[in-house]
Amino acid sequence: MTSDTGDSDLIKETVIISIAYVLAFAVTFKLLLPVQNIFFPKFPSYASLLFLPHGVRVLAAWLLGWRSVIALFPGVFFSFWYVAGMGVFEPSRLFAISVAVFIPAATFHTMRRLGVDLFPAAGKTPCWHCIVLTSITISALTASMTNIAITRTLNDLFAYLIGDFFGMFFLMTILMFFFRSLRQSEE
Amino acid sequence: MSEISKLAELRKLLFEMERSIGLQNLSAAERDIYYAASDLAEVRRDVKTTRLQAHKLVIGISRPTFFRALKSLVNKGYLRQNAAAGRGFYHVESSR
Repeated sequence: MTSDTGDSDLIKETVIISIAYVLAFAVTFKLLLPVQNIFFPKFPSYASLLFLPHGVRVLAAWLLGWRSVIALFPGVFFSFWYVAGMGVFEPSRLFAISVAVFIPAATFHTMRRLGVDLFPAAGKTPCWHCIVLTSITISALTASMTNIAITRTLNDLFAYLIGDFFGMFFLMTILMFFFRSLRQSEE
Repeated sequence: MSEISKLAELRKLLFEMERSIGLQNLSAAERDIYYAASDLAEVRRDVKTTRLQAHKLVIGISRPTFFRALKSLVNKGYLRQNAAAGRGFYHVESSR
């Protein structure tokens, strides 16, 4: 692969992944969160029970490895900017953005070094529940490290963990039914 | 890994999820042969039976099970025999 091809692949990956991240973010906060606030008014209003962007982060890191750090960055940055405005440039938020884009790929690579290689490869059957379990680790690490920069209560952390787990699972379920219906419509 | 194979890997992951929650009716042998065919189809469009049998996902499958599963995959529409390419060549249906 030439470096031109590599660069163009990285640009395409970045556009696709960042758009997917922003879409997942928009669906979570514009569609799911208002519904959640109706049914679970006591749950922290800022923490989604179905945080779909976590699924995008995990699947991007699983597919792209370290390249996901670059591919996710514009989408994650835009989402933080949407919430915090110019406050996105505060050191604590820049740190939280770095954690959000770096931890998923770092977790998959660390697991590979520890002998659990989940990365896709030809001739390998993917282990979807291993990826869901890894997403819990990624969520715990992200929440703990973000907590260093942005102080949260234990309840907040717990709410984020629940949202990340169900968001990951829900996103995979949506994609599973999407590909299934695509297959069936072409039969 | 190319763009197409990344999408193929994502579909493989979700196909596996579909299978393990009982929505997919492929046996383990059929699934492995289908995955192996998808892998080989990335290099060459039509997959030869002998290459398929040598694939590491398929190598442990007995010969009768292999041919039974192959026939079943054709019947279910996952693979298509390619008469133009010659005997023993299969085409992986792109919609899968």
